[in-house]
Parts: sequence; C-alpha cells; structure tokens
Amino acid sequence: MNQKVYIAGMGIISAIGNNIQECLAALEHEDAGIDNITYLKTIHANEIPVAEVKLNNEELAQRAGWSSKISRTALLSIIAAKEALTDAAIENIGELKTGFLSANTVGGIDKSENFYHSYFKEGRIGDLHDIVNHECGAITELVADKLNIHSFVTTISTACSSSANSIMLAVRLIKAGMLDVAVAGGVDALVKFTLNGFNTLLILDNQYCKPFDENRNGLNLGEGAAYIVLVSERVASALKKELYGELKGYANANDAYHQTASSPDGKGSYLAMQGALDIAYLKPEDIAYINLHGTGTFNNDLAEGTAIEKLFHPHYPKMSSTKSFTGHTLGASGGVEAVFSTLSVKHDLIFPNLRLQTPMKEFPFTVERKFIKGQYISNVLSNSFGFGGNCTSLIFSKV
Amino acid sequence: MVEEKYIISACVISNNIAAKNNGIVFSAENKGLGSFLTLLYHHLQIDYPKFYKMDNLCKLGWLASEILIKDESCIKEFKPEEIGTVLTNANASLDTDLKYYATTKVIASPALFVYTLSNIVAGEICIRNKFKGENAFFVFEEFNAAFIKAYVDNLFANNSMKLCICGWIDVLGEDYKVVLYLVSTEKKEGMLLFTEENMNRIFKSAEA
Repeated sequence: MNQKVYIAGMGIISAIGNNIQECLAALEHEDAGIDNITYLKTIHANEIPVAEVKLNNEELAQRAGWSSKISRTALLSIIAAKEALTDAAIENIGELKTGFLSANTVGGIDKSENFYHSYFKEGRIGDLHDIVNHECGAITELVADKLNIHSFVTTISTACSSSANSIMLAVRLIKAGMLDVAVAGGVDALVKFTLNGFNTLLILDNQYCKPFDENRNGLNLGEGAAYIVLVSERVASALKKELYGELKGYANANDAYHQTASSPDGKGSYLAMQGALDIAYLKPEDIAYINLHGTGTFNNDLAEGTAIEKLFHPHYPKMSSTKSFTGHTLGASGGVEAVFSTLSVKHDLIFPNLRLQTPMKEFPFTVERKFIKGQYISNVLSNSFGFGGNCTSLIFSKV
Repeated sequence: MVEEKYIISACVISNNIAAKNNGIVFSAENKGLGSFLTLLYHHLQIDYPKFYKMDNLCKLGWLASEILIKDESCIKEFKPEEIGTVLTNANASLDTDLKYYATTKVIASPALFVYTLSNIVAGEICIRNKFKGENAFFVFEEFNAAFIKAYVDNLFANNSMKLCICGWIDVLGEDYKVVLYLVSTEKKEGMLLFTEENMNRIFKSAEA
C-alpha cells in the first residue's frame, strides 16, 4: 500500500495572524504574538504573558458568520477550517469521502468556566447553553456540521500532540482508502483551566519564552486553530492547483515516564522521530529543517535536544521553535506547526527562533535566530510532544 | 458466544489487611492509612522509590497490583500490548483533589496537582510493569461487577486484550478499599471462573 498523501490546502488563525498570509508575514518580520492578557478574564492578567488571537468573540463570530455565544474554541476552529477548504478548492468535494479530524484539549470549557462562577454566585441559576458543548468532541461536531462534512468526524485529545495525531490518523485513513480528503489539525482557545493548570506546574515563564536558551524559564500559552487539507493521489491528480507538499512520515511513541514531564533522555521523542523517518524511507541527513516542539520549559528542551543529538549527530539540520511567535497553542500546536512546516517545504523558508541569547550548553548545535529564504528544503520534520509522554513526529516533503 | 475467562488471582486491601486469594499477605494495627501503606511497602520488600511520590490512590492500586501479579508467571507469556487495565471507583481522585485544593490557599503544589486525575493509578501500574495495552477508568457510585465483566469481555472478544487487571481502587481520607482481579482465558487448577457472582463474592469478602 504505497498510496501517497498530499497537502492541498491550509488554514490558520493564531496570535500572529488571522490567516495564512498574515502569519507568514509575521514570521518573516519576526513579529511575535505574545503580550499581556487582553481577552481572557483572569486574576493573572498582568502577571503572565500569553499569545492570544487578537480578536474578541464578537469579532470572531462576525468572521465566522456564527453566533458569538458559541465557544471560542468552535469559532477559532471554523475560521481556520474554512480557510483550508477554500484554499484546497476541491471542486467535486460533495462526491468524495471527506473527513474532519480535529483535535483539542479544552472543548467548550471557556463557556463552562463562566457558567460555573455565575451558577454558584447567583443561587444556582445559569444558562445551560453554556455547558452543552463542554466536551471536546462537541466542538468538532459543531464545526463539522457547519462545514457539511459527515463521512468521518473524530476528535483526538492527547494533550500537546493532539493535532499531530489527528494529522497522522488522517494520513493513515487516506492510505487505507477509507477517505479521499481529510481536513486535519486542531484548535484550542486560551482558558482559565489551562492557564491555572500550567501555572500550578510552575512551567509558565513570566517573561516572553526563550526556547532552547540556556536561561529558558518556561513556556507562554497561546491559542489558535490550524488545519491542512490532505488528499489521496487520485484527488491530487484532478486538482487544478499546485500541491503544497507530501505528508511522507509519521510516528507516535510514548515515554511512559511521568504524568507531565518527558524522560531526561528523550526516549519517546527519539522513537517518534526515528519512526517517522522509517515510514518515509528517509535518513536523518535527508531532513533540512526541524520545527521543534521547543516549548521553552527546562525539561522539554533538554529531552528533545538530547533525542535530536542522539539521532542526528553530527549532521544537524536547521532548527527552530515557532512557539517563540505563537506561544504554545497546546491541542492546536501540531496543526499550527504543520502549516508552518508546509510553508517551509513549499517556499524554502526557515523560521527564526526568537529571543535566543545563550544557546544551551548541553548541545553542539544551535537553533536558527534569523529568517532564512531560498535555501532548498527537501524535507521538514515537525515535533509535537505531549503530557503523558505522548510523542508524535511528522515529515513534510517537497513534491 | 463469550469465551470463558478465569480469575488467575485476586487481591483485596481493606481494614489494615492485604490479602491474596483469601490468604492474608500482611496486616497491621490501625494507625492510619498512611502508616499502613508504608508498612505494607516495606513488608513487600520492593525497591521502587517512586512509591514515596505517589498519592494514596496510586499507592493503594500499585501495592495491590504488585501483590496480585507476584509469582504469576503467566505475565511473561503475553506481549506488553496484550496486557491492560479496567479500573473503577466511587471517588475518582477526590482524595488528592481536596489535598491539592488546600495547598492552593498557600502555594499550589505541583507534586499533588499531577495526581488530580483518577487514571494516573493505571499509568503507575503500567509504567512499573511495562504494560502497553488498553486502559480505562470508570467512576460508579458502587462496585459494578456486571459492567466490568461486560467491558473486559468485549476487549477480549475484539482481541484488544489477553490479560487484564480489573477491579476497584477507592480512597477518600481514611476510607479505602481495593479489590483487583487478574483475568485471562487460560485455565489452571483451582481458578475461579470470571463471573459477576465470583467477582462480587471476592469483593464482599473484604467486608467480613
């Protein structure tokens, strides 16, 4: 079964832009989307920087053509998914087996949080509309209905590797002939639940994050949604537009080490990267750029770097963490970085790792500080490693 | 037709007593749950320092699983992917949730926070033994043998699992009870059939 799977469309909304063009421009101009908390109502507003999408729910609803009473998670999701489908411009999509595989970790919890507070304050009175879409799958169902996709709809929630896993599943479904087209990626809105949870774990930087820096001090949370449209060879050959690339490699492995930390030797990360190379029939030296998981926490960057050193030494590809722009968008991060990886392989781009001052002393390699254009990019490896040791790597290749 | 399965071994921990297959493994005077768990850990003579990091739910479940599978050589006959857990209780991780919540008034404790999920205990058991099969954790008001039986039967029927640790691990403050069953289709002499009645009988033996 050597069926190839191609990328025909992309869509994104993140702290650095509300669509592909805006995000690409921000990456090129080194404009990070991190700032003080503006939209989320929280007591931590002036303490913890985050990377919010720069639109309130009313503005998002207007763009989405939907009600502003719907969860912010669903609003972000529909905007990016619609952009991706429009971009793919598949004419006879109604006659094809099309799937929507959308990851998230927070569901409609942004609404539940408000419900919870008013319910206990105001004598057990609240609007039940605010909690019916609490569950992660409910968000995907809402958006799938709006997109008119019914052949296959599923939600994956494996923490920070969620979106990468939804893309991996989509590729496998197409290879197996079960789908012709898949809109795959994910979404997460910034909510109190995650902000307070990560704050409790003491892994949030109260300054702008510095992935892979010796003096890194934690991550910045972000939010957003991003999807790629994956198509079978048959669908690809009928398209009138240029393809962005091929999704050649994918693998998932688990550290089985700790609830929220990677193993120090990066065992899961190593197995995921090695597995993705094996599936793609590629060698480490075939990779031109790694879009790092690179959260900026002490633990992740050390584990990920250790695994990279073990696998790539002495031929290191260019590397950077675009979380220095978008923050860590959790369940959406695999989708956001799939879009960036696709842009990289399509347009021969390497994105900078912002704010790097002192490279980590443990490693013989350094991440890229500047935007690089015009260097031939054959294959891009994208890493997404989640809590619970859930590690996924994807490989994007030139067509 | 459902293939018959057998209870290879059963472990019960309650009222300061740990028992396996009706034989007492360890008992202690009532000096509180924390003390009992530490004494039981020392009694089993296992070197696993991670024990001290665990919350009481994980300590209980992990200790019970160690007793349950000790000397059961059949464990080695299965691949890691064929061994899983189906666990249940009434109080989820509430015991640790409350302890964690108390710390938020001073400095929220990351060490407690990572245990504020009931299925962490399944992770502790699987990491220790390198089990990589299916995992599920359900919360019921009371022990529900019929549900566990049906769920395990289904996992075996679709070949998702060949050896299972299933049962009940519950704790809230000083109230606790663990009843675990090791289940497979292999029959050996003296083994009980994996039925609702036998599960309930073993569960109730803990109350006597």
